[in-house]
This record gives sequence, structure tokens and C-alpha cells, in this order.
Amino acid sequence: MKFQKISVALFLAGKSIQRGNRFTFILTVTIMALVFVNLVFLPSIISGVVVNFNTQSIDYSFGNLIIEPREKQVVITNVYSLKRKLDQIPEVIGSSPRTQIGATYRYKDNTQSGPLIALSPKSDMEVTKIGTKVKEGYFLEDTDTDSIVLGTTLTGNQDSRLDKSDSLGGPQVGERISVTFSNGVTRDLVVKGILDSGVYNVDLAGYVTTREMEQVLGVKDEASSILVKMRENGKEEYYKNLLMQYGVQEKVRTYKEKAGGFVNDAVTAFEIINTISTGVSLVIATVVTFIVIFINTVNKRRQIGILKAIGINKRVIVYSYVLQVLVIATCGTILGLALAGLLVMYLNINPLIFPGGAVYPVVEPGPFIRSTISLYLVSIISGFIPSYNTANEPILEAIRGPA
Amino acid sequence: MINATDISRVYRMGLVEVHALSGVSFDIGKGEFVGIVGASGSGKSTLLHILGLLDLPTSGFLSINGIDVSAMNDDERTEFRLNNLGYVFQDYALVQELTVLENVSLPAMMRGTPRDEYLHKSEELLNQVGLIHRMHHRQYELSGGEQQRVAIARSLINSPTLLFADEPCANLDTKSSRNILELFQKLNAELSQTIIMVTHEEWHEAYMCRVLVLTDGKVADQRACKR
Repeated sequence: MKFQKISVALFLAGKSIQRGNRFTFILTVTIMALVFVNLVFLPSIISGVVVNFNTQSIDYSFGNLIIEPREKQVVITNVYSLKRKLDQIPEVIGSSPRTQIGATYRYKDNTQSGPLIALSPKSDMEVTKIGTKVKEGYFLEDTDTDSIVLGTTLTGNQDSRLDKSDSLGGPQVGERISVTFSNGVTRDLVVKGILDSGVYNVDLAGYVTTREMEQVLGVKDEASSILVKMRENGKEEYYKNLLMQYGVQEKVRTYKEKAGGFVNDAVTAFEIINTISTGVSLVIATVVTFIVIFINTVNKRRQIGILKAIGINKRVIVYSYVLQVLVIATCGTILGLALAGLLVMYLNINPLIFPGGAVYPVVEPGPFIRSTISLYLVSIISGFIPSYNTANEPILEAIRGPA
Repeated sequence: MINATDISRVYRMGLVEVHALSGVSFDIGKGEFVGIVGASGSGKSTLLHILGLLDLPTSGFLSINGIDVSAMNDDERTEFRLNNLGYVFQDYALVQELTVLENVSLPAMMRGTPRDEYLHKSEELLNQVGLIHRMHHRQYELSGGEQQRVAIARSLINSPTLLFADEPCANLDTKSSRNILELFQKLNAELSQTIIMVTHEEWHEAYMCRVLVLTDGKVADQRACKR
């Protein structure tokens, strides 16, 4: 008998979808699809922002891990030996010692203070991607002296209205700028290249070779930090312990720990926005879907009364409406998936530009599964409640409407 | 077949109680074609709804085929309607999204009749009501008389012991009404189908065996018809 009921419910649901009002069906499916897109889209952008933060941090600012001086020490000493040790660890792709100081840049009448980073270009290219982001001129080479690569924000434009912040007023590749190091030594350096990574902090600095910095500061075999690129992203905690197991006694921090406040605060803020937005979207989705399906089902009140009058069991009637909304939910999910896919495809070609760089949507299984389940749940409830209520109404009231 | 004892039905309209039926009692035997007649508001449709298990009496006892149906719950009444009763509504009450054949077959599907069997029987009934050529048509493609004949075929698909008809000719012209009544008469005469029909047209009585006359919710008269 149970099979019989399901078979009749399937028959009624199938005929209702096949021969019912096409416009209502398409409208309901479209609404559900848009609800689905709404549920999936914003989380995918927020995931994209988080991924962007992480990728930018690893690729342009910190690598996966940052080795810093031991407690009570200002610099890392015996850098070459430590770098050799790091490079022998199988999971390490490369390591880049860096020395960062504060400097004063001068070009014509413009003076600007900012970070000056010394690096070994060849090593750094194994860790970060800044060497690939030179928009004008060339990146540094290990043997360079008397040369500097400037971040695009620090460089700025001759027309200051185009600048995002205070700048040097647009020195060109090949021109000289004056740089005063932290020890007071001033040197005129040739602008070899202008770097545009899209990461604010990276583009705000100047870059010289370690050789240049060592000559000016009179130090050797020292660095303020060593950036380390590991084989896989996302396993930083494991790698941190691995480095310590290999006898690295300096302070080892993951890029997340290093970025600390900024990235974590941003990610937390976005996660809160995401949670609130998803919650609100879900409520809207529930209400909209419920209203659309509810009205559709209530409009068939007379039909439900007739079915019951001719001896169709009320469970069969309810099953048939729930089956109909399941079909609608499935079509809505498929259409929503296609629309979301098109939107994601479009944004992959035309990414959103955030201060941290280009953001590409990232569709994660979590929001996708959550949206699908929500849509089905809402649909089932919206199909069940009105059909159950009507099927339990007195037959004559259902057929004629209440007195 | 039907034993109705002291059936009453009271509606509440705001603060006012409307006594649609007051202590109605009668018996109907197998193979009878009984008409329920009376003026508008006399309670004839209410009585038919109660006999057809579409409505519940406020008080009284009703048995059909020796079964006390007044004690049944909603699911039991639905099951009983499916297996024992056929019902023809004034406004046909066909399922819009189904074809003629599907409308007729639906109660048999619900009953679990094998597909071949119910299709054969549906076609046979549609042949009987003269609509075999319209079996793949939808409700909106049929005239009122044709829709009513589909409703009659549907009411007969599960071979009900009782057939109820609530002013089945109310929306039809005289010719169509005559066709319907002749069909009922034929079912009654040839298959001994028990039929209870509400009507307000006196000339319909010519097709019936007996008439219950309702006045103000009470059986005022019972008379045999000249058939």
C-alpha cells in the first residue's frame, strides 16, 4: 500500500509539473535559483578575499614561515650557515634572508620616509614573487650595487592627484634618487625598476641588494629576518615544528602569526560579515521561497479537496506536493549552480580589485552544501505545511473555500 | 444499504446557529434510484454530503452497507469513499491537470488496481458515457455535459455500491441533462446501481424510483415516482 501511495503521489506530482502553469513553475525555479546564487555568491567572494590575503602574504610579503632573531637579539647572525641548513630540509623550497631598515628617500623636492629592504634577488625569487612584478625597468641582481627598485606607491606620479598616498613624485627608471640609510649614510641610487605587486605594504618599500646594504651598514652575514617558502601552503604549523626539529633555534613564525593583527582582524571581520550575510540571506530565502510555494499550493486548495473527495489519501496528496517542490528545488539548484558558475567565470576573467589585490571568488563546499540543504529544507517545509493543512481541512471547505 | 437515524446538522454562522438538518431518518435499499428534492435551503445538499461522507452530522447515526460510518475517522472515511462510494458534483470537480482517461483512472490507481485492468475499465466506462473519442482530452476542451459524463465515469471506476449525485444537471442544458439522467437510469436498471441524487427540477423525478422531500431540514414527504 505504501508503494501504491508513492506511485500515485509521483503520478500526480509529475502531471502537475508537466501540465501545470508553466509561468508559475519558471518563476518559482528562477526565484530559487537566485536565492541559491545569493547564498553561494557572497561567501565565495569573502573566501576569495581570505584566500587573497593568504596568497598575497605568502607570495609577496612573508613566504610561509619567517625566521626572526632569537630572544634579546636584534639581528640573525650566521645567516649563510642558517640558510644552508634551511635549504637542506626536504620540504623547503627556498629561503631568503632580508634586512629591513627605515630610510629616507629624496627625489627632486619630494622627501618620503619608508622601509628599505635588502635582499639577495636570486634567493628571494625562490621565495616571493616580487621579482615578477616589475612593471617598468628590471628587478635587482645579486651583484647590483648603486641600484634600487622602488615600490609603485612609494614612487608615485608626477601628478600627485593620481597617488594613493604621499610619494616621491614619480621618479623614472634610470633617474637617481637620494636614500639616507638608518645609520645616516646617504647614497644616490639609480632607479633600476618599479615594482607593482598590488600589495600595499610591498609597494610602499624600496629594495636594494644585500651587498649594497652590507656596504652601507658595514655588517656581514646578518639579516633581520629569513623568509622561507615551503612545499605546500596551509601546513605552516606543521612546517614550523619541522624547522624547530631540524635545529633552527631562531624564532619561527608562520605568515599568519607575522601578519597577526591585520590579516587576522580582516579575516575575522569578513567571517562575521559572511555569517551575518548568510544568516540574513537564509531568512530572506526561506521567506521568499515559502511565500512563492505557499501561494502556489494554496491556489490548488480546491484541487486538494477534490482529490480527497474522490478517495485519495491525504498522505498521498501531501507526498505529491512535497515531490513537486523537490523537483522545483532541484531545478532551482541546478539553475542557481549554472548562474553562480557563470558569475564566478565572469569574475575570474574580471576580478574585483581590493586594496590587497585582485580578488577571485572561491566556491567552497561548505556554503554550497549549506545552500543546497537550506533550499531543499525550505522547499519541503513550504510544500508540506499548506498541503498538509489543506488536506486536513473539511473537504467541502477546501472545495468551496471557507464560508 | 443506508440507514440514517435522527441525523442533524447545525452550522454556526457567527453567533447564529443554523439547523440545516433536524432529526432526519430514512432507509434506502439496494438498487434504488432515490431523489432528494426540496426548495433552496431545505438541506438536501447537506444531507447528500453527510451520506457521501464529505461532511459529518452534528448528531445521529448513519450506517452504510451495515457499517457504522459515523464513528469513522478522516482516513477511514477517505478509504471508505474510495472503495464504496461514487460522487458526482454539480460543478464536475475534475482534476484540471489530468486527461479524461487519467481522471477516470485515478481512483482505481489509488485502490491499487493493476494498470491494464483499470485502463481497460476506464475505456469501457468512457465508451458507456460516449466519450471514448475524447479520452486524451483535457477538461478545458470539453463541454459541461461532457465533463459531467467524465465525472460519472470516474465515480463508477471502483464499482461503488452507492452513487451520489449533487444536482448533476444544474449547469447543463435540457438535452445534456436528459442524457445524464438516461445514463443514471440505465445504470440503475441494468446494473442495479444504487443512486441517490439531489435535484430541484420536478421533471427529473420521472427517472427515479422514490423521492425524499425535504422542507426546513426535515423529511416532509416520501413518495414513489411514476417511472
